[in-house]
Amino acid sequence: MAAREMLARLGEKERFALLLIAPAATVLVLFQIVPIVIGANASFRDWQLYNPKETWIGLAHYRYILSDPVFLTVVLPNTFLLMFASVAISLVLGMALAHLLNWNFRGHTLVQTVILLPQMIAPVIAATSMRWTFNDQFGVVAAFLRLVGYGQISWLAERWPSFLIVLFTDVWIWAPWFALILLAALKSLPREPFEAAQIDAAGRWRTFTHVTLPMLRPVIGVCVLIRSIDAFRTFDQVWVLTGGGPARTTEVFSIYAYIETFVNLDFGRGSAAAIVGAVIILIVAWTMYRAVDRLANVSR
Amino acid sequence: MAKVALEQLNKRYGAVPAVIDVDLAVADNEFVVLVGPSGCGKSTTLRMVAGLEEITSGTIRIGGRVVNGLAPKDRDIAMVFQNYALYQHMTIYDNLAFGLRNRRVPEDTIRREVARAAEILGIGDLLARKPRQLSGGQQQRVALGRCIVRHPQVFLFDEPLSNLDAKLRAQMRIELKRLRERVATTSIYVTHDQVEAMTLGDRVVVMRDGRIQQQASPLEIYSRPANRFVAGFIGAPAMNFVDVTLARKDGRLAAEAEGLRIRVPDEQAAVLERQPAQALALGVRPEHVLIGDPHPENGTGFDAAIEVTEQLGAELLVGVRVAGTIVIASRIDPWAKLALHQKLRLSLDPRGLHFFDRESGEALR
Amino acid sequence: MTAPAIVAQGAPTRIVGVLAPGGRAVLIVLAALAIVLLFLGPILILVVTSLRPGWAVYYIYRGTAFTLQNYLDVFARPAVVRAFVNSFVLATLATVLSLGITVTSGYMLSRFDGPIPRAWFGTIYLFRTVPYISWVLPLYLVDYYFGLYDTFAGILLPHIAVHICFFSWIMKGFFDGIDPSMEHAAMIDGCTRWGAFRRVALPAAIPAIAALAILSWLYTWNEFLFALILTGHDTALITVTMAQFVTELGTAWNLMSAMAVLAMVPAVLVTLFAQKYVIRGLRI
Repeated sequence: MAAREMLARLGEKERFALLLIAPAATVLVLFQIVPIVIGANASFRDWQLYNPKETWIGLAHYRYILSDPVFLTVVLPNTFLLMFASVAISLVLGMALAHLLNWNFRGHTLVQTVILLPQMIAPVIAATSMRWTFNDQFGVVAAFLRLVGYGQISWLAERWPSFLIVLFTDVWIWAPWFALILLAALKSLPREPFEAAQIDAAGRWRTFTHVTLPMLRPVIGVCVLIRSIDAFRTFDQVWVLTGGGPARTTEVFSIYAYIETFVNLDFGRGSAAAIVGAVIILIVAWTMYRAVDRLANVSR
Repeated sequence: MAKVALEQLNKRYGAVPAVIDVDLAVADNEFVVLVGPSGCGKSTTLRMVAGLEEITSGTIRIGGRVVNGLAPKDRDIAMVFQNYALYQHMTIYDNLAFGLRNRRVPEDTIRREVARAAEILGIGDLLARKPRQLSGGQQQRVALGRCIVRHPQVFLFDEPLSNLDAKLRAQMRIELKRLRERVATTSIYVTHDQVEAMTLGDRVVVMRDGRIQQQASPLEIYSRPANRFVAGFIGAPAMNFVDVTLARKDGRLAAEAEGLRIRVPDEQAAVLERQPAQALALGVRPEHVLIGDPHPENGTGFDAAIEVTEQLGAELLVGVRVAGTIVIASRIDPWAKLALHQKLRLSLDPRGLHFFDRESGEALR
Repeated sequence: MTAPAIVAQGAPTRIVGVLAPGGRAVLIVLAALAIVLLFLGPILILVVTSLRPGWAVYYIYRGTAFTLQNYLDVFARPAVVRAFVNSFVLATLATVLSLGITVTSGYMLSRFDGPIPRAWFGTIYLFRTVPYISWVLPLYLVDYYFGLYDTFAGILLPHIAVHICFFSWIMKGFFDGIDPSMEHAAMIDGCTRWGAFRRVALPAAIPAIAALAILSWLYTWNEFLFALILTGHDTALITVTMAQFVTELGTAWNLMSAMAVLAMVPAVLVTLFAQKYVIRGLRI
């Protein structure tokens, strides 16, 4: 009754606005918000997939997860390490690529086309090709190592070499994204500050640090924010490359939640893990958003 | 010896010429203004002097030495940009010090130079701020400061006042003149605004389509324009042009158009007789179009009807229809009772008549 | 435009053109080569592997036996063909439908202000950060309860839902860049709000939407997590079906790489022919 009154009081403009978002809002509610609510609900219940008792157990799942040594000492550090390392390296590599492409040398369209590929193919395919390339017996990298007499590296048999491969794959996929966005930003920069720097006898590195970088700060901030949030949720590459192994040592948060639900068949605990991750990324995103906002305003 | 010498300077973008055969010698401490419409090549010329554009052919000398191919930082020049081009994230002090620091100048020298520049330009209390906290005028003064601290041989200005509003522009023009008194340096100044050109320049260089049309003192350019383009470009309101043909009447030369017969003054008649073309354009500045005919013996009177009036407060502009075009008369008493379609007797000041070849546009003097 | 001058220490330096003499050109060529090798390499390795018969897959760089038999074998499997068809249909439908409902959503965010748009924007911004795993796990149960598990609707609707937040935000950006005064003029001329949207704003946004469509299609084609959890035998999709080549006996790399190369075809086509659109679409 109150809702109908409210609706009647809305003007034509408001009704049009609501109509515009009605289909999207409906799908969003039904297929994103409702499942999340169900998941949140399940996280407080004893809910095995083979025996959905659904009895309320309060924060038991959360207590388990937050005291699970695997979660605390392996999964969370892995996830954050992957996030920071991948974003940092992709940013630096992407910045270098953007500058290189900005020079408009004679093959630059070819190079630009090539670096677009990692972004266009499926992450699972990228991971598959990396897995094959780094195959410790038959891969091309193994052949190269044999050639230089280094010997064999069992990449996917130990924690840190595996992690390196996962990181390498992630950077392989995402450095081009940084490169293309930074290239567009570079091209849009005004040329006068650079000319003034030329007249002021600034060397190439000084021009980069004192003129280019400050002007790019807003773009860099937004890119880092978006990419960090995404990196936290990585699943495909890790699943295909290591499955979280060997022995759960390269597990990241999304895989942890998956394993709880579909391997341990504990839907309640899996949902709790998913919620914990969601809360963590929310806090991280919020903090980063504030920092980026400040950065952008300072450079304006 | 000229401080800056441009010899047969040319610039082509592919097949498209932007600057054609420019010869210019700027004397020591002279303030030269390059003025012209957009695309006339003035900025390109300036940027070639700065080293920001490659020279297609020709030579540029600064202080006697050839600078073709030298990097901008080695030419001993400083430049003020239209968009100030200040380093946004550095303080004003650091902006001014940047060029000196890159050249390994000791810090106490830097401090001295910055203080001196700040004092001259009145920006002493802004040194700790960042550019975005400053107004447009203040930012432009900082840009000027960046030039002063380095004591270069030449100042280059690329339309520095174009981004400021009209009132601020007038203020900055005066400041620039005051600056010149304190820091006299050879300067090349580019603008599209002919008022700036006239008020600031020791010498004005009018450019069009890549070529120099005329280079002379402001008054010379104003009173003896070399061609129709210069005559129409310099001066506001613009010079009036009427197509005329020459005819003889009673043994004297007259310029004729429909409803108009002007006797050509004797000195000019001598020149006009000698040249072959009969089709000419008569140019006369609005201040030389007079209401009434106080000296009928001049033979420069005519009748016309008022088509438009513009009240400026300090003066009245009146536009009359003559021979198919509107001729503007200026400096008319703002209180004069003049109405549309009113028929007037007007005359032209014989000292203000300019004749141009209708085809080539060259002035006939 | 000339390239900026090289600045060196000490003696005055020359202005250089785009291709510098000596050192710098060599450096650029080396860098370009390294980049092409790095980013093209793994893909090329996969392609070469797909052309090697099963026994020659180990040590792919040795020997000269090449064959297209792997592709024929892959196509002979009905599961694979079905997966390709399913992925294609899914990608196309998901793209068309999600663009359809997010274009109005983005338009609303751009043109309207007040509590409702702000609430919607906040919702979108919030749910953009939610990790996919957090909602696909319960989605598995939701699908089961509604009988949607392993049905087409059961994977299509979540895919549309995934795009709502991100695309609404991007569409808002598109419409922010289009001058609203044209729509005002249209409404003064008698258009309804919907008419102004459909006939003035929408056509102006078409190029940008086309770019987004390409990326959206590729995203659904390449997607893995939802496919893994929400599909089974009936609605198999290519990203998951590729895993079938990994058995207890080891991985049939020749067959898997053949399927992977086939799955890469749309990506390669887009890269070669729609590069401009894609680059524009990738920019946030």
